[in-house]
Amino acid sequence: MTTPLTLTPGRAPDGTAVLAAAGEIDMSNSQDFAAAITAALDGAAGPLVVDLSAVEYLDSAGLSILFRHAERLELVAPPVLEPVLTLSGIADLTTVRPVPSSADGT
Amino acid sequence: MNEGVFGADSEIGRDLADVDWAATPLGPPSGWPQSLRTAVSILLSSRFSMWMAWGPDLTFFCNAAYRRDTLGRKYPWALGRPAAEVWTEIWDDIGPRIDTVLTTGEATWDEALLLFLQRSGYSEETYHTFSYSPLRDDSGAVVGMLCVVIEETERVIGARRMTTLRDLGSDPSVIRTEEETLTFAHRQLDRNKRDLPFTLTYLFEEDGGARLAEATGIPAVHPAAREGVWPVAALSRGESVVVPLEGEAFAKLPSGDWQDPPVQALVVPLLQQGSAPYGFLVAGLNRYRPLDEGYRGFVELTAGHLAAGIASARSYQAQQRRAEELAELDRAKTTFFSNISHEFRTPLTLIMGPVQELRGRLEDADERVLQELEIIHRNGLRLGKLVNTLLDFSRIEAGRMQAHYEPVDLSAVTAELASVFRSAIDRAGLAFEVACDPLPEPVYVDRGMWEKVILNLLSNALKFTFEGSIRVGARVVDGQAEVTVADTGVGVAEDEIPRLFERFHRIENGRTRARSNEGSGIGLALVKELVGLHGGTITAESREGEGTRFTVRLPFGAAHLPADAVAAADGPDGAPGGSAGVSASADPYVQEALRWLPREQADEPAADAPAEAGPTAATTAPQVPARVLVADDNADMREYLTRLLRGAGYEVDAVADGRAALGAVRAAAPDLVVSDVMMPHLDGLGLVAALRGDPRTAAVPVLLLSARADQDASIEGLRAGADDYMLKPFAAAELLARARANVELARLRNHHARWRTALVDSLQEAFFVCDEDGAVIEINTAFTDILGYGPEGLPYPPVHPWWPDERTDPQAYRQVAEAFGTLLGQERGTYTIPVDHRDGHRLWASASFNQVRDPETGRRVVVGTFRDVTAEHYAIQRETALAALSMRLAEAVSLSEALDGALAELRDVWRAERVLAAIFQGDGPPALTSTDPEVTWESLPERRRDELASLRDHPTLSPSAEHTTAITLEHPLGSLVLWIDLSERRPFTDQDQVLLSLLAGRLAQGLARAHQIDRQRETALALQRAILGPSQLPIGFAVRYEPAARPLEVGGDWYDVLTFPDGRIGIVVGDCVGRGLDAATVMGQLRSACRALLLRDASPARALMTLDHFAAGIPEAVCTTVFCGVLDPETGELTYASAGHPPAILARPNGSVELLDGGRSLPLAVRPGASRPEAGATIPPRATVLLYTDGLVERRRRPLSDGIAQAGEAVQDGRDEAVDDLATRIMTRLAPPDGYDDDVALLLYRHPAPLEVTFPAESSQLGRVRDALRGWLARCGLSRRTTQNVLVAAGEACANAIEHGHRHSPGDAVRLRAEAHADRLDLVIADSGRWRTPRAEPDPNRGHGTALMRALMQEITITPGPDGTTVRMHTRIES
Repeated sequence: MTTPLTLTPGRAPDGTAVLAAAGEIDMSNSQDFAAAITAALDGAAGPLVVDLSAVEYLDSAGLSILFRHAERLELVAPPVLEPVLTLSGIADLTTVRPVPSSADGT
Repeated sequence: MNEGVFGADSEIGRDLADVDWAATPLGPPSGWPQSLRTAVSILLSSRFSMWMAWGPDLTFFCNAAYRRDTLGRKYPWALGRPAAEVWTEIWDDIGPRIDTVLTTGEATWDEALLLFLQRSGYSEETYHTFSYSPLRDDSGAVVGMLCVVIEETERVIGARRMTTLRDLGSDPSVIRTEEETLTFAHRQLDRNKRDLPFTLTYLFEEDGGARLAEATGIPAVHPAAREGVWPVAALSRGESVVVPLEGEAFAKLPSGDWQDPPVQALVVPLLQQGSAPYGFLVAGLNRYRPLDEGYRGFVELTAGHLAAGIASARSYQAQQRRAEELAELDRAKTTFFSNISHEFRTPLTLIMGPVQELRGRLEDADERVLQELEIIHRNGLRLGKLVNTLLDFSRIEAGRMQAHYEPVDLSAVTAELASVFRSAIDRAGLAFEVACDPLPEPVYVDRGMWEKVILNLLSNALKFTFEGSIRVGARVVDGQAEVTVADTGVGVAEDEIPRLFERFHRIENGRTRARSNEGSGIGLALVKELVGLHGGTITAESREGEGTRFTVRLPFGAAHLPADAVAAADGPDGAPGGSAGVSASADPYVQEALRWLPREQADEPAADAPAEAGPTAATTAPQVPARVLVADDNADMREYLTRLLRGAGYEVDAVADGRAALGAVRAAAPDLVVSDVMMPHLDGLGLVAALRGDPRTAAVPVLLLSARADQDASIEGLRAGADDYMLKPFAAAELLARARANVELARLRNHHARWRTALVDSLQEAFFVCDEDGAVIEINTAFTDILGYGPEGLPYPPVHPWWPDERTDPQAYRQVAEAFGTLLGQERGTYTIPVDHRDGHRLWASASFNQVRDPETGRRVVVGTFRDVTAEHYAIQRETALAALSMRLAEAVSLSEALDGALAELRDVWRAERVLAAIFQGDGPPALTSTDPEVTWESLPERRRDELASLRDHPTLSPSAEHTTAITLEHPLGSLVLWIDLSERRPFTDQDQVLLSLLAGRLAQGLARAHQIDRQRETALALQRAILGPSQLPIGFAVRYEPAARPLEVGGDWYDVLTFPDGRIGIVVGDCVGRGLDAATVMGQLRSACRALLLRDASPARALMTLDHFAAGIPEAVCTTVFCGVLDPETGELTYASAGHPPAILARPNGSVELLDGGRSLPLAVRPGASRPEAGATIPPRATVLLYTDGLVERRRRPLSDGIAQAGEAVQDGRDEAVDDLATRIMTRLAPPDGYDDDVALLLYRHPAPLEVTFPAESSQLGRVRDALRGWLARCGLSRRTTQNVLVAAGEACANAIEHGHRHSPGDAVRLRAEAHADRLDLVIADSGRWRTPRAEPDPNRGHGTALMRALMQEITITPGPDGTTVRMHTRIES
């Protein structure tokens, strides 16, 4: 059984490409996550916003995919992922924005 | 059925089995505890005298030896009775001792305690040395006592009597009057009022009546002291009579040292040798002792001693009387002589006249005729002189001496008298000096008397002077005239001088050389009388061997003289009368003196030939036959002496030299030795010296005979220690007289020595005397009987021949050497040592000794006695070893412990180097046990292994002839060979072999018993564990259980944890009243019931209410306390009810403590049917709950709340430890110094319980594991952030395990365990594979993983191993 993960590509109101992920990202589904980012990047000229607002778990399996495309990615992350993103160093390579307060479920 | 208990002794055992035990507090033997059975078995199998008491009534048991020695007629009545009833007569003495043993548990020791026993039909004086030691029941409580006892009655009483007899013989003075002797003896008797409560001593009077002479312990005026009450007639016939003390005369008799007076008296005669008894002794008898042979002998010996004392005193009195009679006789003789002297003078004159005439007329006659005439003449003169002297005496005594004092020139008169003797003195070859100074005035003397004075003195001087000179002088000294007559003769001993002037006193021949033994002994006495008549004095000074000087002093003038006897001065000028010529009276003196001189000796007949008229009193042997040993190298002399002495009634042995004499005396001491001085081999002086040098012969009197006539020889002889000395030739009568005198003197002197010897030889114990160097110099018969060494070998210098051989038995030798050291070094002491009999066999002697000072020599000697205690020694050794072994075996709780203890005991018994025990079982090598833990079967030399193996099939418990120190016995698991390695070359005797067999037998029994116990215990343990509680606990719980009553593993406390189908957990902790097995059985029932009730209805309150009814049906279950709870492990919600149980303790992670004291109600079954409340609590995350029983916290003299608080602190202090470690910490920290004395049950739970997940190594499992972990973390009450960090770190570890650990074997299990403490989380992820070492350059993928783990957690350790890799992570939890 693979860990549940929903990946939804889309556009922001300003037209920026967005990949919204919901669920948990670990070794069992990191391939799906990688494929979705590659596909979203292919379909966009500019940066890709990966919206992790609804991700409850992210470990090195997911981080390594983010690292691979760091220069073209912008991340939207909930507080729960903040330590992982900071400690791993990805926050230094990409822009990490907090989840807008309206979207913050807390 | 009871054979097992009483089987050790068939006889006593049968009688014990017949006792109606059911009627005693001990109940039937089938129900007896093991400890009682063991004690009874030890008691019965011992040959040592023992009794024991057991139980609340101190029920009495004893063994065969005790029955024989002490119990007497009380057997078998006493068996099974209360000890206080058995020994009611001595309970006052022994009761308090027994109480001491029972209350303190300490053994008592009493030596020779006086006890009055009612065992022979009367109250008997007995002495016992005994020890009471405690007996314990199976739980270790003192419930009885064992008494090991030795009866010492014979010894104590024997010693007491011996003391009295010794004191009787201790009279320091040799001669006493009869009265003094009896007073002294009775003072001694008075000191032993135990054997002699009272005594009366009567002496027979001449009229046949008896007179009370002495009494002890009874007033002399008591009716019983009247002579008439005793059977005098029988006693005067010399018979002893036992008189019952009944009747009026014996009312109110004194009781001596006892409570009650004697009931009979032994009356014994005071026997006299060969004559009617002196009297008799009445001895009031100790009613507490039987009149046995020993008692009778003691009284008779006492009487014998009294008789001997009387004999000695009377003989002394007789001597005194004889001396007085002699003096009387002397007076009578003087009177007689003076009366008849007159009558002599006439016939004498008629003889002397014709003789003178014949001499003139027969001048030319035959020479023989002239000689005979000369003899008649001379003896006539002598007789005349004697008659005159006696007449003078009688005149003086009658005051009829007709003196005529005239003034004379004393110098001139004296010189002239002296000149008369000149020729005789010249002829004797002596110088004669006369120096008479002229005196200033005349001296009034009676000329005739003065002649006698001077002539007697000169005659005396010549008689005793053999060389040198005789001097006569006259001068004025102190206004008086002094005339001296001095010689250089033999002199007079100092002690003889006072008697010199006594009438008829003659200095003994043996002491002084003289020219003649003639003499009346009257001359000097007369001189003194005559000088006295002149108002003058005479004194003598003398020194033996140098000479004698007589000094006569006369006052000048006549004022001191009777006026009618004084003549006027001769001439008008008053010139004194000069020499008037020496009167004819001088002639007899000179004639006599000349006859002493050599020229005339030849024709002198033997004047002193022995009186041949037949034996007189002095020349016969003493009444009691005496043995004389004659030693002379001259055969004729030997025969002459033998004939002479035999003729006088002596038994005579004769030998030819001193050496033979010495041997003969040592073999059998004679009453007298008559020895020549000059003999080959060993002369007489040497013989005397040798005899005096040996204590056994020192007292034998010796009479030396010598032909050497000089004075030095006799002095030499006497100095050498001879008792008497005679010159040859000697007169037969004199020899016999002296022989008799010496024998009797020696007998008198040796009286005490012989009494002592008789006593010493009569001792049952061996007796010895050692000198300062430890050489044995005296022994008695018993000594020879016991050791085989006799008096012929004396002295025995150390090392004594009976010492064990140093080479073959160094240990025994050392023991003796040590004892010998104390003998020489201490004043008194006792010891028991091994010694070797002359024939080689080993015995044990128990000796006691005292140092004393020899009153004669002042030297220190050691006097000792000993008994042969060989039998006792081995018996005690056996009993001690058996008892010690039994104790070891009884203490052992397992087979191996029993064997270990037994081997140690065997080693101690023989002081062995080591003891081996090989147990052969099946074909393999045996199991070896040794006192030396280093030794293994393989380390033994091959020869020893073969020897042990060869003994495997040897008959059990029979000694092996080949290997004496080994024995085979049955072991529960096979065949056991015991082997003792002795540390020294110590002989292993038959006795040792017997002991080894005995011990091996006991060991075999003990091992069988221990084996049985082993098996019983294993069964019991399995059963106990089954009722205690679940062996598997749900995760998160820790329990501890400690029963108070060892070796039980269960008690009245319990705990229980059960899991309901819905995941909830039931928790029970309970405490039944009491402890030990009884409480445990109740506990088992309650635990099962409570568990079943909870399972049916998970409500603690209802479960307890139902349990109330259940418990009400079990009497011992009332008042049990129970804490019963139901826990939801997901939420930490706890529902609980407490039946009087101490509150549970809840320790929060923040350090605060809360007591769960709700839901409280009464203990079980106190109010069955009453409803019980229930309480609820939520256990916060990471809090710990402690349930316990009061044994953990309840202490004497301390409130329970203190203990609970202390427990709370302990839980808090360990809140960061795993619960199992915490459980240990609490048990340790709360334990009292001596360990828990009550049952303790303890149960710990920390919420939440640790998480344990095992999953296959597949990435698809990650999500599920994470869910589980997330849920658990939520129960841990952590922040979101911490939760996320732990989730990621754990996720990374799990991913690593899946990816790397199981690359080659996908699907293998990975284990995850997470445990929460108060402020810390521990996680462990373990797989069964091997991780790749992380590379320095981070892998784009997994490299991030490890780094991330380290970044997220506070501590990470990765431990790769051959069986897999383990990751341990810790993180602190912010509070």
